[in-house]
Amino acid sequence: MQHSSRLALFHYWVAFAAFLPAVLLGAWQMLVRSPLPAPLDDSGAYYASVTLHGTAMAYVVTTFFTMGFGYAVAATSLDRPIRGAAAAWIGFVICSVGTVMAVATILSGRASVLYTFYPPLMASGWYYGGAFLLIGGSMIWVVVMILNMTAWKRDNPGRPVPLPMFAIAATAILWAWAAAGVLLELLGILLPRAFGWSDLIDAALARTLFSVTLHAIVYFWLMPAYIAFYTLVPLAAGGRMYSDTMGRLAFIMLLVFSLPVGMHHLFMDPEHGSGFKFLQSSLTFLVVLPTLLTIFSTCASLEIAGRVRGGRGLLGWIPALPWDEPMVLAVGLALVMLGLGGFGGLINMSYAMNAMIHNTSWVTAHFHLIFGGAVVIMYFAIAYEMWPRITGRPLRSKRLACAQLWLWFWGMLITTIPWHIAGLMGQPRRVAAFDYADPLIARMGPLVIMSVIGGVILLGSAILLIVILVRSHFGARAQTESLAYAIAVNPPERVPSALNGFGLWNAIVAVLMVLAYGYPIGQFFFLKQHSVPAVGITSQFDSGGRR
Amino acid sequence: MILGPRIAWGTMAMVFIVSFLIGFAVLGRFQQNGPTLGAWAAFCRAVGLTADRRLATAPRPPARTPTRIAWTQATLARISSGSEQHGAFVALNCAACHGAQGISPSTLIPTLAGMNPAVIYKQLDDYRSGKRLWGVMGAIAAVLTDQDSADVAAYFALRPDGLAAVGSEGAPAGGRSLRQHDPSLRLVFAGDPGRGIPPCAACHGPGAEKLGAPGLRGQQAEYIERQLAAFAQGMRQNDINQQMRVIAHELTPAEMHAVAAYYGAR
Repeated sequence: MQHSSRLALFHYWVAFAAFLPAVLLGAWQMLVRSPLPAPLDDSGAYYASVTLHGTAMAYVVTTFFTMGFGYAVAATSLDRPIRGAAAAWIGFVICSVGTVMAVATILSGRASVLYTFYPPLMASGWYYGGAFLLIGGSMIWVVVMILNMTAWKRDNPGRPVPLPMFAIAATAILWAWAAAGVLLELLGILLPRAFGWSDLIDAALARTLFSVTLHAIVYFWLMPAYIAFYTLVPLAAGGRMYSDTMGRLAFIMLLVFSLPVGMHHLFMDPEHGSGFKFLQSSLTFLVVLPTLLTIFSTCASLEIAGRVRGGRGLLGWIPALPWDEPMVLAVGLALVMLGLGGFGGLINMSYAMNAMIHNTSWVTAHFHLIFGGAVVIMYFAIAYEMWPRITGRPLRSKRLACAQLWLWFWGMLITTIPWHIAGLMGQPRRVAAFDYADPLIARMGPLVIMSVIGGVILLGSAILLIVILVRSHFGARAQTESLAYAIAVNPPERVPSALNGFGLWNAIVAVLMVLAYGYPIGQFFFLKQHSVPAVGITSQFDSGGRR
Repeated sequence: MILGPRIAWGTMAMVFIVSFLIGFAVLGRFQQNGPTLGAWAAFCRAVGLTADRRLATAPRPPARTPTRIAWTQATLARISSGSEQHGAFVALNCAACHGAQGISPSTLIPTLAGMNPAVIYKQLDDYRSGKRLWGVMGAIAAVLTDQDSADVAAYFALRPDGLAAVGSEGAPAGGRSLRQHDPSLRLVFAGDPGRGIPPCAACHGPGAEKLGAPGLRGQQAEYIERQLAAFAQGMRQNDINQQMRVIAHELTPAEMHAVAAYYGAR
């Protein structure tokens, strides 16, 4: 058990070590985009920074955090040591090497292609190699997770798999399906071109493969937060989980519905017909279902806890909740941000409405609210919950932790609400310099300055997070009980096999993927030739951006 | 059994079939499509198979030669064989506009007296072949034979008191300096290397000439200005190597006026 804890702790360390500098970069990027003077104001540095921020947040922080979370959940929910710990350590080393390779290449200025790669832009092969090792290495984690669940099922025939383990296995399977897209893109298209084995690059095929990853990866990030919603929040609030079955259903639906939908990232791309775009757009709407289920279930669990604590009346249970618990506060703030971001997302995924906000700051605002807001704030709460249990050293001050969460919440709102508005005004995302002398752009200036302020608040919150964790790390040993999970109101005695394993759901996903992506990907091999010369990215830090 | 495989498969199949029908059949056919797009064509568009699915190629304008004339020995021999006497007879067609002696009474009609016969011969052929368009001249040139063109060219080339002989006058005081203050003199004798404009005088005189380029000293100023504008706008395209179209495109209207005034001053 001690071994599993160390495994989780090492992963958390890498995740949060990458997190703080990435937040700093984000704040600096806002400053560069704003009318205010910025240090190192240079468009080449800006694009390198966006690449580093995106790569760190989307690949490094999330992958390491989720892997660490998975190891901790597998060990504690099954109440036995991890099987395949040696493989897990090998995976950790491979992912770390990949991270160092990718980060070093970005810092050298030869990989400013943003984390979505944007072929036919071409970065150094070291960057793609690093990304491949990082994502490929996490497949070891996938195997370890599935192995642990099946081994437990073999040892406990007929018993329902504990919900946390079931959910983390769903996460692993989801990630395996999702990562297939980007791994194929790296292996089949980008790496061969980067090493000079091919001359041309099929940008349309590459983008389509990446779209397989692009939506499901968000749910891979989201899953630890949802797992906390179901299994950690009710306990922290002092109640029980509303429904175990609803949790299983939600995780199964997330697995099935978040995969055949990635083409809603390609609505504006010419290489696909309108039919497949509409098909995947309408499948995307189904993703709303598990999220609504989860919000309903989480609120119901909180209401149970509130009433147990003496809350009366229609809404009296809300003030009765222990809002000074970081986990409870985090879920409240996360649901607000999830709601705001989610409604924005409905516009993004609508085939027709997307055109209004395509590639504007609106999109950046959407995924910062969902991921940077709702998900990351739950990562914080999970860290506050797990860190003391792993190290045996409790947080010195829960009030400070709550203050950090509040700061993050307000920082994220102050950053993203102006982005939404600027996006509707037509401000493009991922652009280094704006000519604020232009009257059309000048009216966006105050909004951008507001989001700079939000960025500074977020940076302060991120620093506070590290301070809290480090302070706890050097505190006295006082805590011994290991992580516990909420029990359902009606704990499951037996569950149907469809809700206790993934065989059926993998088959359904496979069929859906063939139907949704078979033709869109297959067409490039038979009907359309889109190969174009690649555009190499070299070190292009010029002196002085224009303003 | 709340969720068996049969329910799961059935639900997914239904969702998929409904989305498929809307996306590929209904929307493809009825969304903003006129009746011109049939059901099959609409389906093809929905799967992304449109006529323009291949890589775009840059549109290529049809090949077009600026003129039929090439300065070969045969052409030059034909021009020099022109007969002044027969040319005088052919020139009766021209006299109404260009003057009996080739000295134009109108500012918009060029003076022909003293013009290089090769120039007249080439322009007549361009009018005849439609390479240079001007209604009256096209009709007149169409009834002339090749030999008639050579003859009338010889006739006008020998008329006196028209265009100045190309070698008769050198560069003015101040020479070929780029620092020349008068913009017309600067363009005529030094050009503007920054914009790729060679000096006009290098081909049109005074002081130098080039086969096919008319001497301009003494020409009607408004005629010159109109031709420069025609070259700049692509209305006139019979300069063999596009040089006049390129140069005129770089000139401002004021500069066109200035150089035309310089050449037109007698």
